[in-house]
Amino acid sequence: MSSAQDQAIRASRGDVEAFRHLVQEHSGLVYRVALRILGVQDAQDASQEVWIRVWKNIENFRGDSAFSTWLYRITVNTCLSVRRKESRRKEREYDAEYLPFLSEPRGGDADPEAAALSAGQREEIQAALGHVRAEHRAALVLRHMEGLSYAEIAHIMDVPDGTAKGWVSRGRAAMLVALSGGDLASRGTRGTAR
Amino acid sequence: MMSAGDQRWELLERIGAYAAGELEGEEASEVEQLIFERPDYRRLAESYSRMLVMLTTLGNEPVEAPEVAVGYAVRRAYVSAFMRSAETFIGALGRSYVDALVYYLGLRREGYGGT
Repeated sequence: MSSAQDQAIRASRGDVEAFRHLVQEHSGLVYRVALRILGVQDAQDASQEVWIRVWKNIENFRGDSAFSTWLYRITVNTCLSVRRKESRRKEREYDAEYLPFLSEPRGGDADPEAAALSAGQREEIQAALGHVRAEHRAALVLRHMEGLSYAEIAHIMDVPDGTAKGWVSRGRAAMLVALSGGDLASRGTRGTAR
Repeated sequence: MMSAGDQRWELLERIGAYAAGELEGEEASEVEQLIFERPDYRRLAESYSRMLVMLTTLGNEPVEAPEVAVGYAVRRAYVSAFMRSAETFIGALGRSYVDALVYYLGLRREGYGGT
């Protein structure tokens, strides 16, 4: 049994010290996912809420699945509940006469410096993520930023595998449209998902 | 029947799936053919690849949770655990007092509660 699994089971029996270890070891995961799904403004409050929910529900943790999967599920659910009031975004609305392109980095894709992100690019990505519908954004983050499989995403988001795949696919397309928004706007199109 | 907009969106998603390496066999060959024939589709696939690299790079960057978020949750857990223990202790104390009172007043029948 992994140490996280062991600590989670101890915490489920009321061991606060084990819970403290879990928080210390996994706070990065929770904050990172909240940051990508909600943005910097709401990430801190959401992280606190996640850990409060974890403590309240830890007695239900039986160790059937990995602790990290259980934690991802609570994190994503908390983030989505924060965004519940968010109006449903119309990702498919863009002027498709132009395809969404991203400009090539200086020095080309092979340039190792191009692989490191500038602060501006980080902000652009975060802003573009904000243009993707919440469920699709969460699925996209889990797939392409957390590196999870579709089966894991489906389990975490409590949907069939096909739905998880569809959400990632839609999120990916909406993200590209949003990222290329500036270029398209300069060519006189609306260009981005709203 | 699918509208032209829906068809274009579907194509956008298919090229995205190809760029992410998620298509196999015939589906992958069909998209490869499209990319081979149309430079704008090739550019679209390249844009997807670039975006996916950016997402992965950002996803791999270490992120540290603010200390305040971590500390708050742990403090809450300690307080709630303390309250739980206090509740148990006070409950047990209350029951002992009631038992003592019952014994003092001679309300317990002989043989009741065991010995």
